[in-house]
Order: sequence, then C-alpha cells, then structure tokens
Amino acid sequence: MSRTKGAMARGVSLHTALIAGVLLSIFPFYLAVVMATRTSSEIFSYPPKLWPGSHFRENVGHLFDNVDFFGSMLNSLIVAGTVTVLVLFFDSLAAFVFAKFDFPGRKLLFGLMMGIFMLPAQLSAIPQFVIMAKLGWIGSLTALIVPAAANAFGIFWMRQYMTGAIHDELMDASRLDGCSFLRQYWHVALPVVRPGLAFLGIFTFMSQWNDYAWPLIALTNPDHVTLQVALSQLNSVHSMTDYGMVMAGALLALIPLLIMFIFAARHFIADLAKGAIR
Amino acid sequence: MHPSRRGLLRAGLATTSAAVLGGAAAGCAVPAGSTGRNMTLWYWGGGLSDKLVEDAAKRFTQVDLKATQIGGYFRSKLLTTLTARAYAPDITGLKGEDIASLLSNADQFIDLNTLGADRLKSQYLDWKWAQGTADDGRQIGFPIDTGPCVHYYRPDVFRKAGLPTEPAEVSAAMSTWDDYFAAGERLRTRVKGAYLVTDLLAVLNMGIGQSAKRFVDKDRHFIGDQEHIVRAWNLALECKQRGLVSPFKSGTVDQTAALEDGRLPSQLGASWVSGDFKSQLTKSAGKWRVAAMPERPANDGGSFLGITKYCRRPEVAFEIITWLLGPRNQTRGFVEASLFPSTPASYEMAAMRKPDPFFGGQITNDIFARAAQRIQVAYNSPYDMALKQPIMDELTSVHVSGKDPRRAWRDAMSTCRRIADHLGVS
Amino acid sequence: MADMKTAPAAAIAAAPSPTGTVGATPSGGKGRIRRHWRLYAAISPFYLLFLCFGLVPAGFSLFLAFQRWDGLGDMEYAGLSQFRYLLADTQFWDAVVNTLEIWAMGTLPMLFIALVSAVMLNSAVRFKGVYRFAYFVPSVTSVVAVAVIFGSIFSTSFGLMNAVLRTVGIGEVAWLNEPWGIKVAVAALMTWQWTGYNAIIFLAGLQTIPTELYEAARVDGAGPVRTFFSVTMPMMRPVILFTVVVSTITGLQSFSESQVLLGRNDGMSTFAGGPEHAGQTVVLYFFQQTFDNNDFGYGAAIAWAIFMIVVVFSLINWRLVNRREKG
Repeated sequence: MSRTKGAMARGVSLHTALIAGVLLSIFPFYLAVVMATRTSSEIFSYPPKLWPGSHFRENVGHLFDNVDFFGSMLNSLIVAGTVTVLVLFFDSLAAFVFAKFDFPGRKLLFGLMMGIFMLPAQLSAIPQFVIMAKLGWIGSLTALIVPAAANAFGIFWMRQYMTGAIHDELMDASRLDGCSFLRQYWHVALPVVRPGLAFLGIFTFMSQWNDYAWPLIALTNPDHVTLQVALSQLNSVHSMTDYGMVMAGALLALIPLLIMFIFAARHFIADLAKGAIR
Repeated sequence: MHPSRRGLLRAGLATTSAAVLGGAAAGCAVPAGSTGRNMTLWYWGGGLSDKLVEDAAKRFTQVDLKATQIGGYFRSKLLTTLTARAYAPDITGLKGEDIASLLSNADQFIDLNTLGADRLKSQYLDWKWAQGTADDGRQIGFPIDTGPCVHYYRPDVFRKAGLPTEPAEVSAAMSTWDDYFAAGERLRTRVKGAYLVTDLLAVLNMGIGQSAKRFVDKDRHFIGDQEHIVRAWNLALECKQRGLVSPFKSGTVDQTAALEDGRLPSQLGASWVSGDFKSQLTKSAGKWRVAAMPERPANDGGSFLGITKYCRRPEVAFEIITWLLGPRNQTRGFVEASLFPSTPASYEMAAMRKPDPFFGGQITNDIFARAAQRIQVAYNSPYDMALKQPIMDELTSVHVSGKDPRRAWRDAMSTCRRIADHLGVS
Repeated sequence: MADMKTAPAAAIAAAPSPTGTVGATPSGGKGRIRRHWRLYAAISPFYLLFLCFGLVPAGFSLFLAFQRWDGLGDMEYAGLSQFRYLLADTQFWDAVVNTLEIWAMGTLPMLFIALVSAVMLNSAVRFKGVYRFAYFVPSVTSVVAVAVIFGSIFSTSFGLMNAVLRTVGIGEVAWLNEPWGIKVAVAALMTWQWTGYNAIIFLAGLQTIPTELYEAARVDGAGPVRTFFSVTMPMMRPVILFTVVVSTITGLQSFSESQVLLGRNDGMSTFAGGPEHAGQTVVLYFFQQTFDNNDFGYGAAIAWAIFMIVVVFSLINWRLVNRREKG
C-alpha cells in the first residue's frame, strides 16, 4: 500500500516538474504565436499583448504576396532532406569505424577531425564562393548539399553514441558469424543506434532548414532560393518592417520541422534497451 | 552480402569525388556578371520602391531586368561576388554606411560621369552627390534617398511645460542647442517623469552629423580629436549634466511606451523615423509634429545605386538608373517606400505636399525639404565607423557607470589613436 | 577484423585524445594499411569534403591573417603585425572574457538541467510525446522571434522579469543597460534555447542503458538518486563527454544570442554587444573588425585566435571528463 502511495507521490512531483519545464519552454513560443496574429503596431505597443489577435490571415496574406513561400519551401525540403540522408549514412559509417575498430592512424585522423570541427565557421566565404563558381554550382542547390554531406559533429556524436550502445559481445558474435564490415554496420550497428540516428537526423534537418549565411551568398537566382533566404528578404533596412508578417513567416516555416520532429521522435524509444545483449 | 549496399557506398564516394574533380576540370567559364539578355539589379528590402522597379522591368525591354532583393548582410554578398569576379550584379544598391569604403575601390565600378551623369548633377542635392564621388572625381554612386534629421515633438506635452507648440515657434525657440536644453529643463521640472532625450548617443550622433568633418580627412589624418567632435561630445555631456537624459534604451518597449505616454515628447531623428513612429505608435497618432533641429540639420542614412565594371551594357543600365531616380520617380519612392528624395524638384510636387494625419495634418515635407537642402558636405572615410566606436563606448560608460568624463575622453582618444595607427591612418 | 575492440564500453570512451598522437597505434607498414582499406574508405567522405571545400578557405584565411586588406582592393603584406596588435588589443581580451563568462553562466546550468530533465522524461510513463515535443520547441524557434520576445521579457518597465522581481519585493533591474544584466540575459536566452536540445541528446543516450541494470539496482535496494549516480552517470559518460565538448566548441563561438538581444538600438553597431561591450563575444568582435572596420586581415587573425582558444578549452574539458571516467 505505502509503496503505491510513494510511487504516486513521486509520479505527481515528476509530472509537476516536467510541466513546469514545458511551460517555460513553450511560453516564449506562445508569444511568437501571439505576435504572428497581430499587426506591427500591436506587437510594439505596451503593455505587451498576451492574447492572440485577429490578424493572422492578413499577415499570412502579406507573406504570400511577398515571397514564393511554397516554392522556396520545396527547395528547403530538397536541401535539408538530401543532406540529412547523406549525413546519416556517411557520419554513422565513419563513426562506426572510429568507435569499434582499430587501424593505423585512427587517433590522428580522429584528432584531425575534431580540429576541423573547431575551426570557426566564419573563416572565409570568398574562396568557397570561388570554388563553387569554378564548379558551376553557384545558384544551384548542389552548392548547399555537397559540402554539407558529412560533418564532424555527426561523426563525433555517433561515435560517442555507438561506444555505449553497441556492446562488444555483439561485435564479437557477429565477427564469429563471419559478418563482413558492411554487414556488421547494416545489421549489427544500425538497428541498435536508432535513437542516436533520430537525434542526428533531427539536428541535421533543423540546421540545414535554418541555415542562411552561406545560402544567402551561394544562391544567386531570386526564383530559386531556400525558405530562410526568402524570409530574410522581408526585413527592411531602417523601418517599416512588417513584424506581424515576419513572425507569421517564421512560424509557418517551423511547421515542417515540428512534423519532422514528431516523425523522428518515435525512434527515441528503442527496443534495444531490452535486447541489446542478445 | 548485400551488393546493393556496398554499391551504395561506392556510388556515394564516386559521385562526390567525380563531381568535385570533374567539375573542377570542366569549370572554367564562370560568368563574371549576368548572362544572356539579363541585366541584374540588387537592392534590399525597402531600398527602392518595389512597384517602381517592376515598372522599370516593363519599360526597358532592350534587356531582361532581373531585380533581386538581397536579405541579410548585403555588403558581404556584394564583396564576395566582386572579389570572386563571379556572378556580380550589373546594377547594385550601395548603402550610405558602406559608400566610403566602396569609393576607395572605385575601379570595381563604372564612372557614371562617362555615361553622362555630370549633366544631371544639378538636379541632385550637392552634399548627397558629393558622397557618391571618389577622391579622383569619378562618380560611383547615383543618389537614391536621403535621411534629413528633424525635431519630432509632442505639442500636448510641450503645452503643459509652457513651451511653444506650433512648428514654426518651436523651430524658432529651439534654434540653438542651448535653447533646446533649456526647454528640456523646463520640461523636466513642469512635467513629471518627462525627459528631453532618450540617450546620449542620439545627441552625440546629431552633433557629429551637423559638422562638415568626420574622423579622417582626405590626407588620411585622424581628426577625431578636433573641435567638431569635442563639441558633439560636450553637447552630450551637457545634456547629462543638466539631467535631460532618460533611463530608457532606444529600440525597446520601454522607449515605445514613453513615446506614447508623453514621457519622451521630443526626439531628434531622420525622416525615416516617421515610418517607425507610424508603425509603432498608435495611441499618440495625430499628437506629433515636426520642427527643425537645433542649429542645423544632420543626415542619417540614405543610399545609392552603382554600376559594376562587369556590366555589359552600361548605357542601358544608366538609362534605367536615371529613370528610377529622376525627380518624378523619387516622388513615387517617397509615397511607395518612404524614401526621402535627393532631388529638390520633387519637394514641390503635390504628392509630397499632402497633410499628414499622424502629424495632426501638418505638411511635414516643408520641414524635411528645408533640412535636406541645408545639410553640409562632409568627407566620409572607410574608417569612420571604427573610429567613432571608441567615442560612443566611452560616452556610454559615462552614462551607464558614471565614469569620469575627462578620463573617458582621454581613454577614447588613446583607443582611437591605437585603432587609427593599426588601420594606417596617421 | 582482428583488431576489434574487446575492452568494456565505458573504457572505450576514454580512448582517443583529440590531439591525435601519432604512433600510438603500432603501424605495421603498407600491408596493414591496405588490409584496412574498407575502414579508410568508410571514413573518407568527411576528409574528402574538407579537402575540397574546407581546406582552401582555411588556408586563405590563414594567409589573410598576414595581410592588410579591405575586402576588395589590393592586399598588403603585414607580417606578424596583426597578431602583435591582437595580443595588445584590450577589447579583444575583454571579448574573450565576456565569452567565457557567458559560456559558463549559460552552459553549465543548461547541461545540468538538461540531464535532470532527460532522466525525468525517460522515467515518465504518460504524455512522453507531449513533453518531448514541448522541450524541443525552443531550439527551433526563429531568431527574429526570439529577439523580439526576449527583448520584451527583459524590458525595464514592462518586462516579465522585472514584474516578477517587483512582486517579490526586489526593485527593477535595467537588464539590457547594465553590463552584468546583459550577461545574465544572454546566458538566460542561451539556456532557454538549448536546454531542451541537450535533454534530447541525453534522452537518446539514456536509451542505450539496458533496463537490466536498473532492475539490478532496484533489487539491490538503490533509490533513484543512487541509481542515477551508480548506473546512469557511468553509462552516460560518452554522451556527457559529447555534450561538454560540443557545447564548449559552440559556446565559445556563440554570437547570435548577443546580437539579437543587443543589436538594433541606439546608433551602435549590431556587433558591439551593448553598453561597455558587455555582451560582445569574440565572434561578434571578429564581425565588428571585419565588416565595420573593413579590416579583413585583422579579422582573419582573430578567427585563428578563436580557433586556438577553442582548442585549448576543448582539450581541458576533454581531459576533465576523461579523468572523472577513470577515477
């Protein structure tokens, strides 16, 4: 009896804490929704408005008049989707090697990769632009996809994840079964690292979706831009930025990310916890 | 074994490396600018009237005018394409704050005088035209708009403080900084919680903008320690000593609220500030008026169009520019995008002389136009921003953490010297 | 595949140091390398991409650090003068200190709260999906929105922060006008935006812990706290190492939080970081020098200094987490 009571009390306090966290997380987001439903002057008026207004449709209308929302969203989907697939494959494969094999130069190559990871991203857009121009990729989505196809962040993450998730008994067993390298990767490693892949997938998709510094420079054709580049055109220099419209755009741009998250989040619950040591 | 998966890996590697190597070998003909019948025009949101640009595309059929609004940091994209000599625009917007650094690279642009710009010079404000001229006389920037600064004020609050309320009276009664500050003291004592200025930087910037000099002269000497800067610095300090500075921060909700409820009834600002006011102030709409700034006007903002050296048909490009920026269409720029014209002929046109309900039916253009015509020509250098920053920093320290003004000035000057030295300014 | 690791999982995490000491693995000549060609092929895409697209920009910026350049005109060789200037540039070192302060104030609480939240999320039975979704939302909220929202939350007279302070009897704080207030506000923004994201990382890591271990702990009579320290923490070390190193790298290169919170006000540059540069991080200082001052050469020198600082701090943190692992 007392045990169930204790468990219930614990459950209540657990959910109370979690709900407090939810409120903290959601509240600023809620304010963004409020702003997307209001006019610019309402957004900057005081006291700050806490309830949604009635101008959402109007803001969205302005947004669609000013940018090719769905066209640019399609470009973003192509870039983020392709990069995500490539990154999941290349990064997890490299990570598998770094986590579970030894070979000459392993430490050196890993250290080199971490060093590259630490280079500031702002180094120089000019030579990168020259390279892309020579390749004839400027203005096309290729200029965004190819350089992003593998990254140190993902390799490091998957390596750390695989270190804990792929048990050595599993590797030994598969080796004794005579599995080849690729088979080990595909049949032993991938099934048990689904939560890690799900996170990497979400993160890659999200950072590609929101990236804008390089796309802004590399995409020269106004009819062929990604969503964030299109949205960045909405800010005007001095004044007169229609914040209601900008907010509506920012909010609508999140929808694919949130859908992507719901889709990937199912993989956070893996069945591996029970069956890792088969 | 699953050959398809091994194949996948190989294919992935092969595509990546083949694309890179093959591309590198094949790619040599990179277009420096536009291609085919295209003529590209780059500007930024609000930099030109969008409708006007659309009309230009319809009107000039000898080329396909491709106008693009570039978001984000405009200058980095322009510099990247110019330095890489690839995909540079034919016509490009040049921001006021960037023009000085672009003038020192005048060879990236076509001298507009070779296309006949000198014949049009008289139609434009002298100081504005001079801002787009390189040291050797080449004309790089063709004037778009200007940002003449004026005095926005609230007659309802001024009345309570026993100050004049009509624009002409206010302009006359606050025609010197001293009178302006005296009015501020009166305001402070008669209206509880009211302040004359939002922060010290506003006064500093206006003070510097009023003079005909900046931080570096044409011979690359540092002149930021001279009388004109000292004067602006002292104006800002005086403002603080007389207790006229608000605790609010520019661009925050606090400032908006104070503007609405009359605690900040006076603001010195450029013509485009009226756009901000109209979109952010709803409760006090109709309660504002416009008068002349103390002493003389300053300029804040305003930009240019230029033709890059990669443009294949400069004559057509120039024709487009002069059509976009002629007096008649600058009026449209004002009506459609709040760009205050750089062509005095526009000021007389009916479209610009409409009573403005936000300013209680005042014909504000009279004040703006007079300000625009009285701005002095000043020499801007690419190092102005770098050398102004330490002065602004130290003034902020005085204001925020009560640093001793003398020490602050000394520190500002020593930092300026160090930066100037580093930038090759003597 | 004779070299497959046999050490227990936790020990592997301690393996490579990021410096990558050569010769730690005995190299058995070309035959050995040929034998492992599959492994090299598998890790090659990243290195190939870096060779093609990363090496030239990195090399170019290193070259730039020895030049004087306004970004468009002719370059002028400057020798080591940019670096000499850097060492004496007090504003640069102030920016380094700001970055470290904001990083410490933002990152440490963030990782702690994220770990606790992840453990709670993991043990919740109901509404899991809803919770995860809610915790994820801040990391995708657009920068524009975040700027406006936090600007209003930290506003002096109308902000929620001061509303709360007033009700508990503490007076108003001019958050965005005071050096320490700025740092707190920037760190708070950082914590808000990235706690959920790190919680998701930890949550993925928690999934690698076999339930048997928890059951064994329960049989031993361990309470939730002891289970956390004896089961969760040791098993989570590789993932904790990841979050610590990554948040060091990204935290020391942060700039957008300061920029959105402190940009666009009084005529100051959006790279200035507010009054007394209190919120100016090193990367913002890099932007200021490069784009406001047209000093591309000095900007490049700063970029390489940032790189050195990141390397040093990442190494320190790597060693710290690894030592704990062994101890």
